[in-house]
Amino acid sequence: MSSEAVIELDRVSASEGLLAHIEEVSLTVRRGEAVALVGSNRSGKGLALKLCAGLGEPSSGSVRVLGVDPSAASDEEMLQLRQRVGFVFAKPALISNMSVYNNVALPLRYHTTLTEEAIHRRVMAGLSECGVDVFHDHMPAGLPLGDARLAALARALVVEPDILFVDEVLFGLDADDLVRSRGLLAKYRQEKGLTVVVSINAPTALFTLMDRLVLMRDGRLVAMCPPAEAAQVDDPMVRDFFGNN
Amino acid sequence: MIAWTGRKTVEGVAYTADILFLSYLAFKELFSPARRGRREALKGIASQILFTGVDAMPVVGVLALMLGLIVIFQAGLALPQVGGDAFLAKIVVLALVRELGPLLTAFIVVWRSGTAMCTELGNMKVGQEVDALEAMGISVVRFLVMPRLVGSVVALMCLTVYFDLVAIIGGFLVAKASLTIHFLAYVEEIGKALSVTDVLTTVVKSALFGLAIALICCHHGLAVVGATTEVPQQTARAMLNTVAACLILDIIVSVSAYVF
Repeated sequence: MSSEAVIELDRVSASEGLLAHIEEVSLTVRRGEAVALVGSNRSGKGLALKLCAGLGEPSSGSVRVLGVDPSAASDEEMLQLRQRVGFVFAKPALISNMSVYNNVALPLRYHTTLTEEAIHRRVMAGLSECGVDVFHDHMPAGLPLGDARLAALARALVVEPDILFVDEVLFGLDADDLVRSRGLLAKYRQEKGLTVVVSINAPTALFTLMDRLVLMRDGRLVAMCPPAEAAQVDDPMVRDFFGNN
Repeated sequence: MIAWTGRKTVEGVAYTADILFLSYLAFKELFSPARRGRREALKGIASQILFTGVDAMPVVGVLALMLGLIVIFQAGLALPQVGGDAFLAKIVVLALVRELGPLLTAFIVVWRSGTAMCTELGNMKVGQEVDALEAMGISVVRFLVMPRLVGSVVALMCLTVYFDLVAIIGGFLVAKASLTIHFLAYVEEIGKALSVTDVLTTVVKSALFGLAIALICCHHGLAVVGATTEVPQQTARAMLNTVAACLILDIIVSVSAYVF
């Protein structure tokens, strides 16, 4: 992990109507770090994750992602930023009228001048790493949720981003999928220095992969600590969350 | 009443501004020198032409044939009774080429492809697919709107010419059974009756209808916020507004071409 800050949220407030809001959240994530935004539903962690990825605008405060302020950046700067950031939504959000293969190939075809042969190699390698290469010619609607999310993960990783964001990382994944995801994220962190930011709404073995947990309740940041110390945080939400009343 | 009229006027102006802005963005992407996404956009244009144009040929052909038959058959029966045999070709050009050809072809494209565009984009919004494209740095206008716009314009122009040809020639051949007019004489009369203005007007109309259909249907599809129930509502609105826009454009072009 380097000391370079890749995400900086400074006293950020934002809202998505009645669905979610965050208030005065400050957070810095360094290159190569793995951070989990932890909280129950409607705690604001999903909104905070989107803001970290530059996918929304705060009502107050400032956001910098890879040195870019998304609310003041030019179209070209945002385009460059988008190519350095991978985002996996809670819904798989695969393009429904394209096969799984074409979904994963899409960012490469759109942003690069790679030949179809080179694209094929990278796409199949990505799908294979995520364990969904057998579904490469399937349409997304026919896939189980877990496999669709793994295909979405393959699509986010195929462009070799600097930062990977995964919203509701546990959603739709079974035990095998979780083990695979954990191994994959650990490998990308170790080999490529990938920064990982996820949102999680239940205690999970994925915590062991994280450097820090950011605990959130009602749109506010309650505590920030290594996973091993999270259970000791003196907060009703945290006590409920980790089941140590 | 005054408040209602004022509110509707403001809404109408805002709606037109939204459509014009989407049009500006789509043309900006169309003429952008950037190579990024060109391959995918071209694929989108080709598939849109295939779906809107080639796949619609049987429906348009049958409708054109039947309409051509009705117009030519009725005109062929009625005109000799008033000594107007010589006006058959003129009537065909007036009714089929100038007005019915572009308008009916546009209506078929609205009902067939416009609904498809609107529901497809609406469902993509609901499934967060549009958000995913934006997150990947893929321009929604370049990837989704511009190919549909270009594809619709090209397909509608070709379909209108196809409609006119089938209606004029096919309709005559079918109606020939009960008419005494010779085919070659009929074709020659059509050639004389058809002016350059007629051809240009038809082309301009079909291009404008294609633009209106794609822009309005894409606008309504992308206006879906998050519920699947919004998709049919937006589609119904898109259909009504597209038909109204086509009729208004038809009047404007016809008046501009033949009055001024």
